[in-house]
Amino acid sequence: MLAELKLKLLNDHISSYTKEELIWVNGYISGLVTTKPITDAAMVSKAISNKKITLAYGTETGNSKKLAIELAAKAKKKGVNAKLVSLDQYRLADLIKEEYFITVISTQGEGEPPIAAQKFYDHIHNNGFKIPAMKYAVLALGDTSYPMFCKTGEDVDNQLENMGAKRIAAMVKCDLDYEEPAEKWFDELLESINNTGATEIKITPPPITETVKKTGKKIYTGTVLANINLNARGSAKKTFHIELAADQVEYLPGDSIGIIPENDELVVEEIITLTGIDGSKKVNFKNEEATLREHLLQKININFLLEKFIKQYAVLVNETLPRTRVDLVELIRKYPVKNVAEFETFLLSLHAMAPRIYNIASSINAHGNEVHIIALNDEFIADGKIKTGICSAFLNDKKAGDTINFFIQVNKRFRLPEEDKNIVMIGPGTGIAPFRSFVAERDATGAGGKNWLFFADEKFTTDFYYQTEWQNWFGTGVLTNINLAFSEQKEYVQDKLMQKATELFEWIKNGAAVYLCGEKEIMSKAVEETLIRIFEQEGKFNNEEALKYFEELKATGKYMKDVY
Amino acid sequence: MSEEKKLSGIETIKTASRGLRGTLKESLSDEITGSVREPDHALIKFHGMYEQDDRDLREERAEKKLDKLISFMIRMRIPGGFLTPEQWIAAHNIAGDYSTGTIKITTRQTIQLHGILKHDIKPTLQSFDKVKLDSISACGDVNRNVVCSSNPNESPLHKEIHALAGKISDLLLPQSRAYYEIWLDEEKISETTEPDPLYQDRYLPRKFKIGIGIPPNNDVDVLANDLGLIAIIEDERLLGFNIAVGGGLSATHGNVETYPRLATVIGFVAGEENLFKAIYEIVTIQRDFGNRSDRKLARLKYTFDRMGQEAFVAELEKRCGFEIEEAKPYKFTSRTDLFGWQQDKNKNWHYTLFIENGRVLDDENLAIKTALLEIAETGKGNFRFTSNQNLIISDIIEADKAFVKSLLNKYKLIEHTEAASGFRKNAMACVALPTCPLALAEAQRYFPELITKIENILEKYDLGEDEILTRMTGCPNGCARPYAAEIGFIGTAAGHYNLHIGGDREGTRINQKYKEHLDENGLLSEIDSLFGIYKTQRHEKETFGDFVMRENLIKNN
Repeated sequence: MLAELKLKLLNDHISSYTKEELIWVNGYISGLVTTKPITDAAMVSKAISNKKITLAYGTETGNSKKLAIELAAKAKKKGVNAKLVSLDQYRLADLIKEEYFITVISTQGEGEPPIAAQKFYDHIHNNGFKIPAMKYAVLALGDTSYPMFCKTGEDVDNQLENMGAKRIAAMVKCDLDYEEPAEKWFDELLESINNTGATEIKITPPPITETVKKTGKKIYTGTVLANINLNARGSAKKTFHIELAADQVEYLPGDSIGIIPENDELVVEEIITLTGIDGSKKVNFKNEEATLREHLLQKININFLLEKFIKQYAVLVNETLPRTRVDLVELIRKYPVKNVAEFETFLLSLHAMAPRIYNIASSINAHGNEVHIIALNDEFIADGKIKTGICSAFLNDKKAGDTINFFIQVNKRFRLPEEDKNIVMIGPGTGIAPFRSFVAERDATGAGGKNWLFFADEKFTTDFYYQTEWQNWFGTGVLTNINLAFSEQKEYVQDKLMQKATELFEWIKNGAAVYLCGEKEIMSKAVEETLIRIFEQEGKFNNEEALKYFEELKATGKYMKDVY
Repeated sequence: MSEEKKLSGIETIKTASRGLRGTLKESLSDEITGSVREPDHALIKFHGMYEQDDRDLREERAEKKLDKLISFMIRMRIPGGFLTPEQWIAAHNIAGDYSTGTIKITTRQTIQLHGILKHDIKPTLQSFDKVKLDSISACGDVNRNVVCSSNPNESPLHKEIHALAGKISDLLLPQSRAYYEIWLDEEKISETTEPDPLYQDRYLPRKFKIGIGIPPNNDVDVLANDLGLIAIIEDERLLGFNIAVGGGLSATHGNVETYPRLATVIGFVAGEENLFKAIYEIVTIQRDFGNRSDRKLARLKYTFDRMGQEAFVAELEKRCGFEIEEAKPYKFTSRTDLFGWQQDKNKNWHYTLFIENGRVLDDENLAIKTALLEIAETGKGNFRFTSNQNLIISDIIEADKAFVKSLLNKYKLIEHTEAASGFRKNAMACVALPTCPLALAEAQRYFPELITKIENILEKYDLGEDEILTRMTGCPNGCARPYAAEIGFIGTAAGHYNLHIGGDREGTRINQKYKEHLDENGLLSEIDSLFGIYKTQRHEKETFGDFVMRENLIKNN
């Protein structure tokens, strides 16, 4: 089968392998055989873009940021995708995972780091961990009229080496006229990364055995990495950005996740105590076995009961109850349970806890084994009191290190087009989520299509989700156009669409795919009406023709929506 | 001039700006950011604005993936610090509609509003335009707001002299229509940039400040200006002005080439025509000879010291075509505002109101802003700002005095002014944190509490009546003129200040650094011991600053 020379090479190569390594290689090669061949011309030319390069900047006056954006854009032009991040938003726990880590950092006043880089600076200096996998380079900005010229850059450069990282380029110190030396340095750096690429063998991990049961959805256990309220003080709302890490998670941009929330533990314990039921008693609910405590905690909805359940409970306790919807625990407090067995049966008749679906805001290519979601804190008034939706309450309490169970909700009708196609994304409010996934994906994979985002919310200063990320993507050219509307300024997303009608229609006519995500009843209707008006106005169509044009877009997959 | 040094970055931006237009229009339509484009940061200053951000919120917002909370400070051009009641009402409403709500009276007799978002700049400036106010050249490398002694009661000639502030401001305005096009939607008439014989296309190397002082009160700190004009009055007749050149109170920590400096009196000029000619040519000398490669060394004071007085005067005379006469004698005896009621020769009344750090707002104790609005609405008094950040309700006719007084009393403003100690009323601080990008330490947010603590020390030594002049800034750039105070606190880092002492009360002597980088305890204990010796060893009526110098406290330190 194998030419003699090739066989010799193979034998030479594997002669030093341990048994375990040989078993792995065996799996690896059979994986190569069963999946698509991975070595084609495109892969080779993209060798460098497969490297994980992070370009992190620490800025005070904005120079480092400006420069970092320019460098990232430059890299992109050369087919290298560097992930651009401000050090104040950098997740410090990721340091040990970095492959190529390039820092652009300035020095302030008397040799201090910029405020935005202080946490990073302290973290690497105080925490005594090692980062042997990292290859790094530092570009220091400073002002020679200060005595401690570029001190912070020097500190970072030395400290990363102390931590075991490998310096791949000597640090360069730039004065106020930094552009030229910085670009030269960066060109050489890219060159050297490129050359290393040629000698290194890229190994794709063996294919993962699919453990998903054909019948049910695979449940992942995600560890919370971060839970951030994206709204600034002064905002009328609260929106969580949650980052979950889950091993071997698989999804595509456009997919959603389902989260099955849990009831409040304290409430569950109170119900058990008040009614005297046995929390450890096994019960069967929808063909699954669980203890009563688990049943109360995870399986059923015990909040804001429907009227029919209130009626059932009334029979149970032999009382006349008002018909208003209330929480189970409130019923129990006011009208104590008399018969435990009957109450257990009642518990098994309640509605199952419904999963909440959230659009995924991340991309595996950009964020690794992570799933990010954005969840608006759901508050409503019931019985004159402010109540928090069950899933909001559940997510509200989650801190880094906690776990959340979820499944992937595949959405084949909301997919990115081929990489060279242009897209228009309309995503007011939390509707922005899948578009962060789209653009992160296109950034990470170097997709060449143009990307246009329309976003709207209440206040520019407090409610512009992921503002700094959009700014970076805009700076590097991944995000081609962005238009924003804020109701505080009496502007809505449809107004922006109308203002941009000519250009927008030009994009659509030339084959751009249009995506809409967000609120269904008011927003999505207004957007669709506006699109039809734009088709009439720009395409010189009558209403019937415009409607037909819209239907064609839908039929050909050029218009996709995910509204709720 | 012959030095072939590289021009500073700002110089390139100015000359390429097409009459200060830059890319400001494009910046306004950038929706993704509350900021303007990089080169426009420098240009927008010429339109009276600074881009700032709330530094307190930077870290919190970064975690939320939000950009800095960027907003703009807009400073008005109000030569001599005079507003009609209608203009004050407009400022009051604009502040409420578009800014933080606080009207800040500055150390240069104007007002500024903070916290204006990019999309609110145009409505703000358009509203000001309706009452004939603009912010042209309130910041930037041009002649800034011209200040003049505030109190009409200072001299019967006040009105005549005060009018010069506006005339000088107009004389030195840039010719560009950029302000009207960008902010007021004026149509561009021609494609070419307006020729500007004074500023050309490079403007000045650095800011340029002009002040007019009327002896014997130096309330404007006339010698702290690049160009100070000292009115020479004899027998109630204005003879002309002494010309003082090269004042400027900014310095840079750790840069020994920089220094605060008071202006040098170089001569006397009579007659308005010659005066304007001399002013104009002093500006052209600075334009042509100023340092354009290092902005830290670009103020007129460095140009003047580099040229030397003789060469400077010779150049000035050459450009003017007349001789600069020998300076006339003058004497300053004080530098304070005349708090309370004053009546001028025309029998009009003026009430000088104490406004701590110039911040006009309503708080739980005092509704200054509401009170001033109510007074303005009566139309019975004009509004004048002092260079000490206070406010004069002025030109009240005898018949209206009682009514205005009743309003002042209704809001307890007279009580407020009278209750503040002389020490507090003569104190001044700059804005600093959280909005000023240069600030290294707190100033106006912190100074009032420090003053309370110092007042206790004064009481302890029974010096409560002593009106020692103190000033604080959050950085060494000197906006609140701390180097010209008897006691100056100059921020070095969060919670730390250099302690300067030894300035005089009249503003003719710069203080000197006494101790470095002290925290509050350090400051208070130094002040305690200084006041201790001052109390026991001072001569009769000797001021603290003079005492420090006579006792050589700084050198012996």
